Amino acid sequence: MKKLAIILIVLLSAKGISQSTERVEKTKYQQGMTKAFGLWEDNKPWEAANLFERIASAEPDNWLPFFYVAQINILYSFSEKDKTKLKAQLAKAKDFLNDAKAISKNNPEIMVLEAQWYTAWIVFDGQQYGMTYSGKVAALYQAAQQIAPENPRVALGKTEWDLGTAQFFGQPTDKFCPELERAVALFDTFVPEGEFYPQGGKEYAMGVVAKTCKK
Amino acid sequence: MKQYTQISLVFIFILFASFSGVSQNTISGTVTQPNGTPIVGANVYLEGTYDGVSTNEAGQFSFETQEEGIQTLFISYVSYEPFLLAASVTQMKDLKITLREDVNSLDTVVISAGSFEASDNSKVSVLKPLDVVTTASALGDFVGALQTLPGTTTVAEDGRLFVRGGSAEETQIFIDGIRVFTPYTPTTNNVPTRGRYSPFLFDGITFSTGGYSAEYGQALSSVLLLNTIDEPDQEKTDISLMTVGAGIGNTQKWTTSSLSVNASYINLEPYTALLPDRNEWQKPFEAISGETVFRQKFEEGLLKVYAAFDTTNFQLDVEDINVPEGINFALKNNNFYTNVSYRERLGSNWKLFAGGSYTFSKNKTTIESAAINTTENSAHLKLKFRKKFNNRFKLSVGSEQFSSKIDEDFNDPNFSKTYGYSSSISSLFSEADIIFSKKFALKLGVRGEYSEAFNEFTVSPRASVAYKTGRNSQLSLAYGDFYQQASSEVLKFTTAVESQKTQHFIANYQYAANHRIFRAELYRKQYSNLITYPSSTPEFDSNYGNDGDGYAQGIDLFWRDDESIKNVDYWVSYSLLDTQRKYQNYPTEATPSFANTHNLSVVAKYWINDWKSQVGFSYQFGSGRSYTDVNKPGFLQDKLKDYHSISLNWAYLLSQQKILYFSVNNPFGFKNVNGYQYADTPNTNGVFNRRTLLPAADQFFFVGFFWTISDDKSDNQLDNL
Repeated sequence: MKKLAIILIVLLSAKGISQSTERVEKTKYQQGMTKAFGLWEDNKPWEAANLFERIASAEPDNWLPFFYVAQINILYSFSEKDKTKLKAQLAKAKDFLNDAKAISKNNPEIMVLEAQWYTAWIVFDGQQYGMTYSGKVAALYQAAQQIAPENPRVALGKTEWDLGTAQFFGQPTDKFCPELERAVALFDTFVPEGEFYPQGGKEYAMGVVAKTCKK
Repeated sequence: MKQYTQISLVFIFILFASFSGVSQNTISGTVTQPNGTPIVGANVYLEGTYDGVSTNEAGQFSFETQEEGIQTLFISYVSYEPFLLAASVTQMKDLKITLREDVNSLDTVVISAGSFEASDNSKVSVLKPLDVVTTASALGDFVGALQTLPGTTTVAEDGRLFVRGGSAEETQIFIDGIRVFTPYTPTTNNVPTRGRYSPFLFDGITFSTGGYSAEYGQALSSVLLLNTIDEPDQEKTDISLMTVGAGIGNTQKWTTSSLSVNASYINLEPYTALLPDRNEWQKPFEAISGETVFRQKFEEGLLKVYAAFDTTNFQLDVEDINVPEGINFALKNNNFYTNVSYRERLGSNWKLFAGGSYTFSKNKTTIESAAINTTENSAHLKLKFRKKFNNRFKLSVGSEQFSSKIDEDFNDPNFSKTYGYSSSISSLFSEADIIFSKKFALKLGVRGEYSEAFNEFTVSPRASVAYKTGRNSQLSLAYGDFYQQASSEVLKFTTAVESQKTQHFIANYQYAANHRIFRAELYRKQYSNLITYPSSTPEFDSNYGNDGDGYAQGIDLFWRDDESIKNVDYWVSYSLLDTQRKYQNYPTEATPSFANTHNLSVVAKYWINDWKSQVGFSYQFGSGRSYTDVNKPGFLQDKLKDYHSISLNWAYLLSQQKILYFSVNNPFGFKNVNGYQYADTPNTNGVFNRRTLLPAADQFFFVGFFWTISDDKSDNQLDNL
């Protein structure tokens, strides 16, 4: 079952709006979040994660800072070579993911992130986690799709997962192209529910389309 | 000059004061590891505020805050325990902070003496849940998979678990911490039994071959702990069609609850018609079984209700050297088992576990003209509390109650008798887990048991320690006293016996890195107070005693490697066992017929990507077991020939949700011998004739088709095989 591990990595860099041209008095929360996204863009993800963690401590009722702490820890675990560190990072991500889930229930963005958390374990050790966790990943995407069929990250994550499974079984993958292209289009029409809500991933989605749907 | 300084100080003061009277405090310090190395990138902040910073290259931090009074300084860094300091902000200057390693992290030492784990979350997993079903020799039986681990003896005709020189009754099986009283399906004496419960209900298996926790009692040699799945992933329907029967299962999920139901029907009639075995079947083995699990989540709790019913029947002529035409044997068994457990996270780091099980089993055995009806009613109740004082100290206390009532009536045209017994055992246990550091952990426990029927009180201490000898290796030691009452075979005739006792001494070394694991375990087991009686089998009027004793010692080796050969995962187990005991009707100390000196298992799995197939191989070797040759002086003085068996299987993924599965046991047709039966009386030459006890069939073939229907179309039954 080792080969299930090949199944894909979903990297969705979700960056909030970091620039606002209006000269409105910003709250501490807005300043903090803007600064954190700035650090992340300046390729200082761990400082960004620390800042998100501090914001989370000051804003215990807001799922977003918790979400971004988890996301950074998950995202950078895919490239982490040190196994001990990787496991510790995923453990930390799980804590923040649980906090985010407790604050905001049935949130499709969090479900996608949780699916990525399981995917990280599968990529890390497909033999050990492939069979059991792939069911959970599939179930999370399924549930997220029911809640938010028009969310581009849900559409992309789910389709990419199904695509990976089809690849694994040697089945044709071009049937996923319409859905992938729909996901790309959704990025343009999707309106985030609020400031600093996840909204990135379009470039990545276009990359997947380019790779899968050679014309 | 002096005046100038004063002026500027005043100036600065005014400057500060002009900022609306808000005072700025600087919080500063250094964060290091226990060995003094600075921690770079640790997150330092005042809890609940926006004020904070990450530590620099030298582990230093410094930031300003407008907060006043008592605040909590919080420092976090991955794989270290968070640090909290509640103090006045003015005092938070030049702090020297050393973070402690987080002992919850995955590289912390774990107590591994005696136990094997099969789970996803375990820190040292020897088997994976999937192995239970993809091991070629296991045929989907979780017990079969465990028989490839060291410490077990191959007793091919029996099928139960024989651990380290112990008999099968010395191993107890628990589902979700609650005892299973009748874990095996009934069978005739040359066909191995199977575990009653389907493996796909479980996602964690711990098999302990000795030195286990004080939570478990009434087992002299071993415990097998099975944990059911907390939450199924999705709704689905499973259909299976097999050469020996068919099965169907369905899972439904709701917001906070889920229900799984499955049923199966097994009938060996077509199989035995096509490939006759050595038995004269009048009614080949037939079984109907159903299982259901209901799970309900609460805010902080989880309730699981499990129930299983099965009915088995068969009838055959059993060969017998004293009865040329054979002995007619028929069996009908109805078995009902239910297990309810509830766990909840209470406040302030307390955890509650409460559970109970009830077994009702009715056996109707007919041997020629004699009819024996056995009814068993057994129950187990358990209540456990666990308190986590901190990451390094946890304490659990609990209490449990076992009750068993067995009634049997024996009816023969010229003789009939009714007998039985009821027993009840109450126990208390407590256990402390102490983690001194990532390298050193200790578990101390004690268990007290009181048996009403025997008016007997026993106390068993248990202790184990583990020490990490290197990055990937560790050493553990375990000691424990274990008590178990006599088996029902004896108790139904007398309760005037005491508990039997063993003491375990175990030393374990384990090396695990990069998908390779090596374990070596040295043990000594001391038996005392074993049941003795003079008759050849327990009888109504036998004179029972507790005069038996014995020992078992040996070394168990295990090696698993999933890395060296591409797409191949294999393991090798070897056990060396030296055991002798005097019990039952043994005239002298002897090695019992269920124990042997050498056992070897080799299991390999090869994934062929182009064929979407997993091919499995397993080989089992057991050196000859002992038997008594009545034509020679002595007792259990001779050895059977060595046992060999090879099994092959092939799982082919037709598509994501359809699997075709083939398996064959003993394709090369090794002729194995299970033992000999001697005539009651000698022939004209004064020699006792004997009959060779052979397996019912040398080979076994199995073909199955497994189909899963679910919404996401990717789940399959590979983990059910």
